[in-house]
Amino acid sequence: MARHAKTYAGLAVAAVFIILEIAALSMLKSSSVLQDTWINRASHRVMAWGWGRLSNVRNYLSLQQQNQILAGRNYELFKELQNYKEMEKELVALSRLDSLGFRSRFNYIPAEITAMGTNSRHNYIILDKGRDEGVRAGSAIITPNGVVGMVYSVDRHYSYGLSLLNDKISVSARIGREGIVAPMSWDGRGTDRAVLRNIPLHLDVPQGDTVLTSGISTVYPADIPIGVTMGSRLVDGAVNIVDVKLFIDFSSLRYVIIAENPDRETIEEMER
Amino acid sequence: MKGWRFILVYLILMVVQSIIGNYFWLARYVLISVLPALILMLPLSYGSIVSMLIAFVTGLAVDFFSTGMVGLSSFALVPLALSRRLLDALVFGDDQASQEDELSFQHFGAPKMLLSILLSCVLYFALYVWADSAGTVGFWQAFLRFLLSVIVSTPVCAFAARLLRPE
Repeated sequence: MARHAKTYAGLAVAAVFIILEIAALSMLKSSSVLQDTWINRASHRVMAWGWGRLSNVRNYLSLQQQNQILAGRNYELFKELQNYKEMEKELVALSRLDSLGFRSRFNYIPAEITAMGTNSRHNYIILDKGRDEGVRAGSAIITPNGVVGMVYSVDRHYSYGLSLLNDKISVSARIGREGIVAPMSWDGRGTDRAVLRNIPLHLDVPQGDTVLTSGISTVYPADIPIGVTMGSRLVDGAVNIVDVKLFIDFSSLRYVIIAENPDRETIEEMER
Repeated sequence: MKGWRFILVYLILMVVQSIIGNYFWLARYVLISVLPALILMLPLSYGSIVSMLIAFVTGLAVDFFSTGMVGLSSFALVPLALSRRLLDALVFGDDQASQEDELSFQHFGAPKMLLSILLSCVLYFALYVWADSAGTVGFWQAFLRFLLSVIVSTPVCAFAARLLRPE
């Protein structure tokens, strides 16, 4: 109670001070042209500063909405780009047959990350899209900057996926567009790196080459950039392992794309 | 009796200040004012709000009866009245200032009283010169006017303070 009384007294003093100063300035303003101009200029400056700050706050509060709009646009552009890439490939392949019927091999669904773990060896990811939105187990979770993981199970409106930062996940990757294809997985040494395994000893892998998804998979679309090669090292005297610096920053990841291959079951059936 | 004497001297000093405002022709270069002393010497039992109201009315009356711009003295005096307690605590110490109701040379000694008057003059003239020049004179010219005004007015204010509290 005493504290409140002190606060109210402080507010009263501040209010009286402001009122008296405004009254003094108003009288000063009307008693001299010079002071009138000076006070007007100062008040405009204060108002401009205030409006600027207010505008900054308003922009900050609308960031969430702008992020969602940008994520949506990003998704649309990515989908378009993937379609073009696949069309280009199929054009080359089918030109000999004079066939021009194109269709994207993957369906893309934008999603937002609801929860994600990055602290264990078996990291997970939960997305806000599920069965009702067309997500199926075994779909890829990607962004234009790389592979995020794979959907493991689906609920009506949510999906549970295994993150790339999970040693149970392996992605078929290619070094460069025409280079070596090798399985890539996480070795648990950091959230920004993974390794390409089983690289034959006689193949030299230069540093700084881009690593992309190979497309030799029913899960991941081809040619999604994943990262760049770093150094390589010998394992068991038989094969090399190449370190890959990932493009994706898992700590700031929020929006992803689920890539679902409608022909996956058919292809897997044929493989059996 | 003591209170009535204070009010009487206070009013006389206001009249003197109005006369200085009307007949002192060097105000462009140096200002002479006893107003900081008037506000500083107000009884400490007066709260901030009462002190600010007195400062406002005092400034207004002096400006009105002299050739100055109405509102200018009030603009500089009200912040001084607001920060009076802070100044006292700074110069005299929290406990000592709160024990006494009135500032006087006898209680607090000349050095501390002079320091307190000097700080009041600095605050008052900084605001006064800033508002009076209204951005029309250069920094160094305004600073020189401020400095001369503080140097000249501090002893004048000390004299006025002694008149207000002679014991």
